[in-house]
Amino acid sequence: MHSVIRPNAWVALKLPSGITKVIQITPNTTISLGKYGSFPANLVIGRPFHLTFELLDKNPDENFSRLRVVPSDELYAEVFAEEAAAEGCATSAAGAGDAVISATEGEEFSLVDDNGNVVARSNREILDENARQTLTQEEIEELKREGNNAGKDVIAKLLLSHTAIDQKTSFSLAKYKLLKTKKYIRRFQVLPIDVATFAQWQLEERDASKIMDMRAEMIGLVGCWGNVHYSGEESKLPDPKVSTTEGVEACVELEKERLKGRWLVVDDTCGLLVAAMAERMGVLYPAEEESADEAEEQAEEKTEDPQADSTAADGSVQQNGDVEMRETTETTETVPVGKKQPLKQSRKSKSGPRASDFAIPYSQTNTLTVLHSSSQPNLSLLNYWNFDITSPNHAPHPLLNHLLNLTWLQLLKPELDTSYSTPPPTATPEVLASWKPSRRGNFHRKRRRYARIRHIVDNTRAGGFAGLVCASTMDPISILKHTLPLLSGGAPVALYSPSVESLAALADCFSVPRRTAWTSGNVPEIEGLSNEELEYWQGNERFPLNPTLLQGVSIQTSRARKWQVLPGRTHPLMTERGGADGYVFTAWRARPAEGRIEARGKFKRSAGKKGGESATPAGETPTTAEGMQHDGAEEVLVKRKRSVSSLATELAMTEKVAEVTSPTKKRKSEDGNLEA
Amino acid sequence: METEIPRSNVTDTMASTTTNQSPTVSPFLDPGPVTKVNSLAILQLSRDNLVPVYLEAPKGKHDGYAEGAVVNTRYGSFPHSTMINVPWGSQIRASKVDTGSRGRNKRKRDAADDAGKEAKDTPEESNTPLPSNGDAGADAEVQVKKAVADSSGFIHVLPPTPEVWTSSLPHRTQVVYTPDYSYVLHRIRARPGSTLIEAGAGSGSFSHASARAVYNGYPAREGDKKGKVYSFEFHEQRYHKMKQELIDHRLDDIVHLTHRDVYNGGFLTDDGKSPEAESVFLDLPAPWEALPHLSRRNPKDPNDKTWVSPLNPKKSAYLCTFSPCIEQVTKTVSAMRRLGWMDIDMVEIANRKYHTSRERVGLNLCFDRGVNNSARDVDEALARLTEIESRFREHAAKSRGEGESDDDEEMDDDDAIAATKTKGGKKGNKKGSTENGNSTIPDNEEGNVSGSGSGTAPWMEGRLITRGEPEIKTHTSYLVFAILPREWTEQDEAAAAARYPVVGEQKVIGVVDKAARKKERREQLQKATLGNRKARRKERDAQMAVTEAA
Repeated sequence: MHSVIRPNAWVALKLPSGITKVIQITPNTTISLGKYGSFPANLVIGRPFHLTFELLDKNPDENFSRLRVVPSDELYAEVFAEEAAAEGCATSAAGAGDAVISATEGEEFSLVDDNGNVVARSNREILDENARQTLTQEEIEELKREGNNAGKDVIAKLLLSHTAIDQKTSFSLAKYKLLKTKKYIRRFQVLPIDVATFAQWQLEERDASKIMDMRAEMIGLVGCWGNVHYSGEESKLPDPKVSTTEGVEACVELEKERLKGRWLVVDDTCGLLVAAMAERMGVLYPAEEESADEAEEQAEEKTEDPQADSTAADGSVQQNGDVEMRETTETTETVPVGKKQPLKQSRKSKSGPRASDFAIPYSQTNTLTVLHSSSQPNLSLLNYWNFDITSPNHAPHPLLNHLLNLTWLQLLKPELDTSYSTPPPTATPEVLASWKPSRRGNFHRKRRRYARIRHIVDNTRAGGFAGLVCASTMDPISILKHTLPLLSGGAPVALYSPSVESLAALADCFSVPRRTAWTSGNVPEIEGLSNEELEYWQGNERFPLNPTLLQGVSIQTSRARKWQVLPGRTHPLMTERGGADGYVFTAWRARPAEGRIEARGKFKRSAGKKGGESATPAGETPTTAEGMQHDGAEEVLVKRKRSVSSLATELAMTEKVAEVTSPTKKRKSEDGNLEA
Repeated sequence: METEIPRSNVTDTMASTTTNQSPTVSPFLDPGPVTKVNSLAILQLSRDNLVPVYLEAPKGKHDGYAEGAVVNTRYGSFPHSTMINVPWGSQIRASKVDTGSRGRNKRKRDAADDAGKEAKDTPEESNTPLPSNGDAGADAEVQVKKAVADSSGFIHVLPPTPEVWTSSLPHRTQVVYTPDYSYVLHRIRARPGSTLIEAGAGSGSFSHASARAVYNGYPAREGDKKGKVYSFEFHEQRYHKMKQELIDHRLDDIVHLTHRDVYNGGFLTDDGKSPEAESVFLDLPAPWEALPHLSRRNPKDPNDKTWVSPLNPKKSAYLCTFSPCIEQVTKTVSAMRRLGWMDIDMVEIANRKYHTSRERVGLNLCFDRGVNNSARDVDEALARLTEIESRFREHAAKSRGEGESDDDEEMDDDDAIAATKTKGGKKGNKKGSTENGNSTIPDNEEGNVSGSGSGTAPWMEGRLITRGEPEIKTHTSYLVFAILPREWTEQDEAAAAARYPVVGEQKVIGVVDKAARKKERREQLQKATLGNRKARRKERDAQMAVTEAA
């Protein structure tokens, strides 16, 4: 992220009322904050984030408001005054005194007694009904129109004109003042749009349902449990340098051993999840912005300024580059678009000669693969980070090389997908030269698209993903059915859901009784299947998923409770956003051992021991009771008895044994090991 | 619970492990496809029982085991040799390991040591083969016994991640758990390439998580700026343990650990340079004492030019403090305000885990554990009561018939009713359920064996429910977040004003009135008709839908 506000960047403006406005800062425009006033955008461009600006009164010879950075001492002046009052020494608030907005000049407020102690009034003298504001709305409006010291005068006058101000308790006075400050003070703060800020805004002020009510806690949990992190520098497959006469056979072959650090994502949050994961992988923000030093930054911005208003986001920028991502119907490559062309070319020259049609632009490491259920992924929120997956000729963005997307059809039945199964067109250079430029462009586009889709599909189907992260409205069981085989051993799975029910149903697929039954050998439908075939188990009613493919299945929820911290008034906030709590399902991909697994515990051996009672080394603890407890808890399978007794009775039997042996441990085994 | 992870000479052999494809990358950041020798692996015994182990190559007898190093659990014994070079996530079967004779031998060895004080430091292999009852001692000199699978149980071997490490690490202090650190790292914007200061390394759980968050490659050479964690620990023993841990985990290039009291010593590197941090996490008993060091300028003398700030001068700094008590929070927040921190925000995280299970209620269920043998619904209760009632009537009729000749004829009817009712009720209950129990079990068995689905599988019976774990952490710590904007001087402002002068602005963005919005929308639409991809795409999708339908 940058250190200063850059032209055309998306930012969040935080207003005194607590409302956040997300806008794109266009240079040479006026930014309006509604009732708080307006100011020229150029007054914040190039300034740092998080400062508090105050709109000054207009100078007589200017028709706009200038800004002033409010020092923090001034912002906290009231708290300092209170703290000082509480300590009983007014001196420490020196310098802050004049910054306090108060009804009476000089004094802190009228509720401070001679010694400076706050008189905390009781509620006994409840303000009578006609205690009210004497200023009329017209008068307030009049005050606001004339220069009023950024709203501070209005507030002070309002306090003065309240008939019962001296009857208010200190708390209610503070509240009243805060209320009026929120309404009239002309201040704002500029925040950078990163995932945390954006998600909070989208959740609390925009459309929470669009991001499936995903709170910050959940974003953090999903990312951590999914173990999503940067995993290696960009590494691309070499350009095959094919000529236009070569077809499928010339496509770049997959190099499985180069695939590393790839995460599978199923995202129904319009791209918020992808953005959060991309942020964790270091591919959300363009790299040059990070390192650019001032001078370079300046030069770059100068050149960009003339075309600043036609941003890449509106997609009209034509570029000779090879970054064409998605199908478009009539994109031609050779149409020069005014003065932008030279600039783009100069930028391109850095990246060397033009790549051939079958060159794969995607990195082999550190990538996100998005599976989507409609023909195009819905990642519209990525626009806030200047990435538009539908844009054919995209300005450079790290996500271009690190975000792969394919449909469920392409994953599961690629032969039915037209773009995957139609071989790329070929043509000799002579034929090609005879075509119109538009047709030629189309030809290249088709070949490129084919190579890319083929690469993505083959790459995804090769499996070996480092993790699965998911926030989807689809049934998680169906998602896991098809994605579990694609995960490498030990890979984490982290699924988010706004409600617990679907995740509970999923966890139930991996319940102990189900797993026990599966491994018992009593399941006719899996008789004789190899482990590999079992990985692709398509499920039935009794076993929707292969229950041995996940370990450590767990569901959790987190909630941050906000507090107000003020001297003598610290307590949790009275109200907060309700709605969906959000739950996260976590587990690890296991690789079950080949063949039948038995887990009888150690009791048998130590029971029929060979003179072992003399020595049980400290390191090797299992006592008989514990061994048997494990027995009852973990998969209990005794081959011999298979034909005689049913699984259920057997489970019950062994469990009873465990209970008899260690009644005190019963509870533990119930809660802990049983659901291992 | 201060325990050491069993580990012998990992560091000695570190150099010899370079044969692997990624020799220097931490197993936390890139575990590779299979488990490796001398690398950390997490053994999952049961869901919440995780044991970290440094896998050792079998080099002859180890600690009395013929198989080399062995992990003993209640699920059996697991020689390291069975867990090396297997894909991560693999299920590992227990092995038949002779633990008994080893124990006896050990005692003998100890006795010998006490007697002669000899051979204390000699390596295991060169120990004279002690007399033992079996194959263990026979080939102990060079041979490593091949592990034989045992049926006592299994475990899974997982790649280390900060999450599993947090739940398995040796506790030295209170640990910052995943629900807290995941939220903190998200809020303090720890991202690949960030520099993070952490004070109070403690048990290292946050260090591992933050190292993963900021990691964007190992520095290739001196001065190469990559994501880095500057960690401070003032407790010397903890510092040394942590230092060793970082080396073992190959995170020492990413986490820079310093032994220092940050209240007095501040956060600069040892040579007085600034770490240039953007994110700070303070897990200290008195954060307000450390806060003055995290300023832009010397808080005592703003004009002190020699003072170096540990913060990145060009970026906003994000801070989080982690304190369990509210008094600490009050003091911290007060100090933050005086030091100019903005957007101060205090939260506490409540995390809950849920268990899912099947709730089986009914009279007609077998006596399985976890089955509630009471009526499932009113109908079932009614049916049972009717049955009892009819049985009582039978009984009453019978006894009346018998008792006609008896003297007890006078017996109070009500008493009799009551007596038989309870008797019958108990009997009926017992009888009914056992009978029914007997009748359901064959059903299940049938279902299991034939798979014909005549009865529901036992794991699908009952209602699926979720319930919280039996014990929840109701309070970990209060998290105070704050942001310190970068310094902005008048010169900076003048430079920015010169670069972006105010010109005659026409267009208004942000909050605009209705008329302006309408006008804008009209212009947008006009533009759209010229060349809007979305419109075109929609058109095409519609076309495709038509062709598909056809």
